[in-house]
Amino acid sequence: MLTRRHFLQNSALVALSPMVPAFLSDMARAAGAQRDARILVVIQMEGGNDGINTVVPFGDDGYGRNRKAIRLNRDDLVKVNDHVGLHPSMRAMGQLIEGGRLAIVQGVGYPNPNRSHFRSMQIWQSSRLEEDQIDRGWIGRAFDQLPWPRPGGPDAIYVGEEELPRTLWGRRTDAAAITSTDDLALRLPVGKSGSGSGAEAEDITSFVRRSVLSAYGTAGDLAGSGTAGATAAAAYPQTKLAVQLQLISQLIKMGGGTRVYYASQSSYDTHGAQLPQQARLLDELSGGLKAFLDDLKAAGLSDRVVVMAFSEFGRRVAENDSQGTDHGTAAPLFVAGDAVKPGLIGKTPSLEDLDDGDLKMSIDFRRVYAALLEQWLKIPAKEVLGGAFDPVQILRNSV
Amino acid sequence: MQSVPINSTAPAPDMWEPYEPGGQSLWDVRRVVHLHRRAGFAATWSEIQRDLKDGPQAGVTRLIKGGARVEGTIENFEQTADEIGEAAVLSDNPDRLKAWWIFRMLFSPDPLGERLALMWHNHFATSNLKLRDLVLMRRQNDLFRTFARAPFAKLLGAVMHDPAILIWLDAPSNVKGKPNENLAREVMELFTLGVGNYSERDIKEAARALTGWSVAGAGFARQADAHDDGQKQILGRKGLFDGDDLLNILLEHPACPRRLAWRICSEFMGEGMAEGPALDQLAAGLRSHELDVGWAVQTVLRSKLFFSDANIGTKIIGPVEFVTGPAHALELFDPPPSTLVLSEWVERLGLSLFYPPNVGGWTGGRGWLTTRAIIARGNYAAALARGELSVSDSPPDLRGMARHAGRDANLRDGIAFFNELLLGGRIGPRGLDDIRVRAGRPGAPDADPLTIAVALILASPEAQLG
Repeated sequence: MLTRRHFLQNSALVALSPMVPAFLSDMARAAGAQRDARILVVIQMEGGNDGINTVVPFGDDGYGRNRKAIRLNRDDLVKVNDHVGLHPSMRAMGQLIEGGRLAIVQGVGYPNPNRSHFRSMQIWQSSRLEEDQIDRGWIGRAFDQLPWPRPGGPDAIYVGEEELPRTLWGRRTDAAAITSTDDLALRLPVGKSGSGSGAEAEDITSFVRRSVLSAYGTAGDLAGSGTAGATAAAAYPQTKLAVQLQLISQLIKMGGGTRVYYASQSSYDTHGAQLPQQARLLDELSGGLKAFLDDLKAAGLSDRVVVMAFSEFGRRVAENDSQGTDHGTAAPLFVAGDAVKPGLIGKTPSLEDLDDGDLKMSIDFRRVYAALLEQWLKIPAKEVLGGAFDPVQILRNSV
Repeated sequence: MQSVPINSTAPAPDMWEPYEPGGQSLWDVRRVVHLHRRAGFAATWSEIQRDLKDGPQAGVTRLIKGGARVEGTIENFEQTADEIGEAAVLSDNPDRLKAWWIFRMLFSPDPLGERLALMWHNHFATSNLKLRDLVLMRRQNDLFRTFARAPFAKLLGAVMHDPAILIWLDAPSNVKGKPNENLAREVMELFTLGVGNYSERDIKEAARALTGWSVAGAGFARQADAHDDGQKQILGRKGLFDGDDLLNILLEHPACPRRLAWRICSEFMGEGMAEGPALDQLAAGLRSHELDVGWAVQTVLRSKLFFSDANIGTKIIGPVEFVTGPAHALELFDPPPSTLVLSEWVERLGLSLFYPPNVGGWTGGRGWLTTRAIIARGNYAAALARGELSVSDSPPDLRGMARHAGRDANLRDGIAFFNELLLGGRIGPRGLDDIRVRAGRPGAPDADPLTIAVALILASPEAQLG
C-alpha cells in the first residue's frame, strides 16, 4: 500500500513540479511514521436529523401512513435496494455507495433515549449515559490512554467557529480549533528555501529553521495553487460544510500528525416546514462529503481517512401538524471512506413495530464507536466507552 | 592496578554560580536582550541601554523586584488593571478577560510577575471550558500573581483552597465512600511530585483524605459529613489525614522540590539546558530554602549558566511572549495596541489564555511550531510592523526609533538596528542581506521597505528562539 511517506518521497514530488523546490524536499524528509497514521473525520449533524426522510423505507407501508405532508415521492428517491432509498438531494452519497465508499448504519441509538438536544448530544459526545461522566468526550478519553506528552501537532482539530466540542475534551488531549483558510495564508515575502545544511540535524536551531521554512513553503504552495488549484481534483460546493471539509483536507495534506478532525453542520431541528430545509442540509452533507473524499482520493490519501456523520437523535415517525417532525430516537449514521463495507448495515427499522410512536433502536452507537476506535484508530475502546461493546462490522475485513 | 582515590568530600561544582561579565562572556546587547526575552516581555532600546550601563546583577534585581519597565507603563497601573478586569468579568465575555491579562503583561511594571503568573497558570492548568465562570477564573489568576514568588506552600495552599481548581478537578463529587480520584491524582502527578513518585494506592488514599473539600457559594467549604475521617496510609505515612495533612506530606516529599525546579527551569532555561546535576542542585536549594520560588528564580536568572552561550537562543518563544515582546520593544504605547486584537493573535499562535488544552497545560517547546502557528507568527509580524494592531492603524515610527538610538535611518543600518533591538543581533550577515533584498524589492505593497524588513526579522527562524 502506498503510504504518505512514500507518496511524499516519490510520486508527489515528481508530479508537482519538474524541479523539486527545497522546501518540499524538506517536508518530504520531515514526513515521519506518524504521518502515515489513520485519520477519523467526524461530522456532527446538529439538531436531530429526521432519519426516516433521509434513508427512506419507502417499501414500508407505515411510511405513507405516517408521512403525508412531508412524504417523499418514491420515484425521486436514490434507490439503495427495493425497500430503501436515499433522500433525492443525496445523489452524491448514492454514488459513494455505488463506488464502494459509503456505509449506512441503520437504527442507531442508545437505551432510554433522551429527547433533549443538549442532553442527547452530551451522551453522543461523551459516549456515557451517566450524567456525572460527561467531563470528557469519547475522542478525548481515547487519546488520554496514549503515552503523554506526545510530539507533533494537536491530537484533534475542530474546524468551525463554535467552541471546542465536548467530544474532543480530555485530560491529556491536545485539541485545537481553526476557523478558516485565512489561517494558512502568509502576508509576507519570506524566503522559502534556506541553506540545505542542518536539515537532518536534531538540534533546536536546525529544527526551528526546518519547521519555519517548511511552513512558509506550505503557505507558498497553497497560495501558488490558490483555493481552486488546491482542489482541482474535486470541485467543492459553495457551502459551509464543504468549506470546513476543504480546510480539513488541506490540513491532512500538510501532514501534521493530527488523527481526528471534527466539523459540524447545524439546523437539523426541523419542527416546521421540514422539506426545503432538510433537502438543503442533506444536499450540503452529501455534496460536501463526496467532494472531500474525491479530493483525498486524487491526493492518494483516501486509504487513510474514514468519515463518520451522526446526529444526536432521529425524529418521531408520525409527522406533526406543521409539516415537520418532533424529537425522536434511533436514526441512521454514515461512515464513509475506502475502508468501509459499502451499503446498508443493520436492520432497517420498522415503521409499524414502534415503541410509543418511536423507532426501536437496533444498534447501540457505542458499538459504532468501538469499531472506529479499535478497528480503525487502533485504540482500545473499553475504557473509553465505559464497558465492552461489540464493534459493528462497518469496515472491510482487510482493514 | 592503581586505584584512583575518590575524594568524597570535594564539593560538587556549583552549577548555579553567579554570572560575572568578562573574558568571552561580555555584558552586551545580546545578553541584555536574552534576559528580557526570557524573563519578561522584551525590552525597549532605552531599557537595554540602562541595563548595559548598570550591569547584569542590577538588571536581574530590577526584574526580581518588579520594576524592570521604565517605558510603556501606566500611571495607577493596578487600579486601571482592576477596572478592566472587573469590567471583563461583568461582561461575562472570556475574550475580555484574556485581553485583561494581555493588558497586564504589556503595561505592568513587573513583567517577570506576569511571566510567573503564566507559568503557574500552566502548572495548575484550569480551563474555563469546564468552569464557565470568569469570577473564579480571575480569582485563581490573581492567586498565581499574588503568590508568584512565594514559598510554594503558600501558593499550593491558596490554589487548593480556591473553588476554581476544586470544581475543575471534581472535588465536590469526591465524598466518603464514593471517592473521585481526579484531584488526588493531579495534585500528586502535576502539582507536586510528578509521575512515578507515588502508587495508585497512594492516590486512592489521598482521595480519601481530600473527601469533604468542596465549594459552597463561591468559596471553599469543608463538608464534615462528606469527609472520610478514617486512617489513611499515604507515601509511607499513616494517620487520620485530611486534605491539609495531604498537602503537607506532599510538600515535604523530596520529589516536590525537584518538580518545582523542573518547572522553573523549563520556563527560564533553554532546551536541554538544565538537566541532571543542575536540576538536582536547584531542587536541593529549594528544599533548604523552604521551597521559596523567588529564591530559585533569582538563582537561575543570576547564574552563569543562564547567561552562557549554550543557553542563549535555545528556547522556543511561546505565543504570549512572541506577541507581547515586540509590541513592547517597538514602543507601541501611544496609541496602545488593542489588547483584544493581541489576545486573538496569541490564540492563533496556539495558546488560548484561561483555556489550557487539558489538565497538563501546554506542552510548549517544539510543539508550538506547527505549520499553522508559524504562518500566524509571520502574519502577526506583518500586522505589527504595519501598525494594524491598534484601532487607529498607527505604524510604529521605525525610522524615528533608529535615529533616536543614534543610528542612520537608511535601510541597511535600520535592519541592523532592529536585529539588535528585537533579537540581540541573532540574524547573521547573510540573513540580513536576504531581508534587505526582499524588503527593498519594488512592487511591495508597503510604502516603507523598513516596515517589511522589521516584519521579516520577526518572521525569521532566529526570531522563534530566545
